[in-house]
Amino acid sequence: MTSTTTRKFHKDRGLVSRMYFTMFMLGFLYAVFALFLMAAGMQMIFIGGIVGIMVVVQYYMSDKLILMSTGAKTVTAEQQPSLHKMVKLLADRYEMPMPKVAVIDTAIPNAFATGRNPKNALVAVTTGIQERLSERELQAVIGHELAHVANRDMRVLAVANFLVTVTSFLMTMLFWNMLFGGMGGRRNNSGGGVMMVYLVTMIVYFIGQLLVLALTRYREYGADHTGAEISGDPGALADALEKISGTVAGIPDKDLRKLQTANAFLIIPAALKGEGSMNLFSTHPPLQERVKRLRELEQRMRYGLK
Amino acid sequence: MGLFSGKKVIKDDWSTMSTVIKAEAKLQSLGEITPSRRAGVIYRNDEKNLFQCDIKNELNSILYEGKGSTKTSFEIEDDDRGMRWIVLEDGKFGDLVSSVYTVGNAIGMNDGADNLLAAVFELYFTGTVEDNTYRSSLRTYWIYRYDRKAFYPFVPTGESEGERDRPTEARLGQDLRKHGLTIEKSLTEWMGLWGIPF
Repeated sequence: MTSTTTRKFHKDRGLVSRMYFTMFMLGFLYAVFALFLMAAGMQMIFIGGIVGIMVVVQYYMSDKLILMSTGAKTVTAEQQPSLHKMVKLLADRYEMPMPKVAVIDTAIPNAFATGRNPKNALVAVTTGIQERLSERELQAVIGHELAHVANRDMRVLAVANFLVTVTSFLMTMLFWNMLFGGMGGRRNNSGGGVMMVYLVTMIVYFIGQLLVLALTRYREYGADHTGAEISGDPGALADALEKISGTVAGIPDKDLRKLQTANAFLIIPAALKGEGSMNLFSTHPPLQERVKRLRELEQRMRYGLK
Repeated sequence: MGLFSGKKVIKDDWSTMSTVIKAEAKLQSLGEITPSRRAGVIYRNDEKNLFQCDIKNELNSILYEGKGSTKTSFEIEDDDRGMRWIVLEDGKFGDLVSSVYTVGNAIGMNDGADNLLAAVFELYFTGTVEDNTYRSSLRTYWIYRYDRKAFYPFVPTGESEGERDRPTEARLGQDLRKHGLTIEKSLTEWMGLWGIPF
């Protein structure tokens, strides 16, 4: 497959935020679209169906969406022989088909995997991570990403996110109902009753997001563990994580004073996290904790404990 | 959202902040660091907070009255990003650190723990960095973030966001850690403060 996309130049930051932003905008689009249909007087069942189709399309297109939003380009074995060889070797160990391989041209060291199942998987690395890590460390990083694919984390999170999306859709509907009273069937709900339902939905939504967060965290540790078992070298990933987080490129452009205003919006990217891919540096769980667990695993493996 | 944010306890800031005195002394004896007389505390001013409304008088009594007060002079400045700075000046580095802690602690203890952003110390660095370039008496800032309870160096090269001397920051960070300063482990948290008013 030849790449026909024109070369785009991105700034070195915001790879992850671009991804989140895309996902957030998609969710927003659903809501606006649904509201529009509702305003046009369309039946609920149709609206539900249409939104359902959109979610399914997003699910099946997620790899392409991610490629578009991150500026990753698939590379052939001729273009990147050693990277391809490394991915092939690891894919064989996982007994999965060879995934697509992509490279993102940025100095920021990072990597991610995406795809709803091993047959449709894609693993991407940045040029920054390729330059910085040793072969052993890069192999550990790719092993971690392929573990997400092998564990079908994208699917698990897509389902979890779908449930949260449905809840937020319900929320939008109820809000609509509360504002303008009745859509379709006229019920004698008192204002207080609607408020109550709205409140409960909001609580459910919030708990749902916490659960998705916990799930992401759990899956992250899981991939660290699986990757370490496949490679037999937990220290390699720990080294890679430490090396990357300790490099100059990690020092941000951001002003500290922006932090306080950004905090209020944390919940949104948190809920959308991992919708389409598993990033090497999700903020949850914290890096130090991951490194600590990997080092412990290294010790246990060294002394033959399980 | 009480589940995650929680009240920030600032009682233990001193145990971390005080390590800066030792680290500074060591690096000064190695000829790498000269302290300036200035430091600051930055926080988001809350107009409903009684203590913060009367900050000038409050700080006057804390820094000047009473036994063992450091008599560190201070000024209040508002920056163009809606933050308030207490800029402190003291010739004795130890007293300066102690006053910075006292100011932050007073704001924190008076219902302002969530308003506190950072304490900032100004020091000059001389030495060679990673890419073998030499820095002579370069102005650096050592930022203590209240939410992370850790320090990191900040060396701006201009007024606008993103302009910073990363190689020097990396080098300084290593040295400071070596000499016992609690350095923020995650580099992505080393956020800058452009346009520091001192």
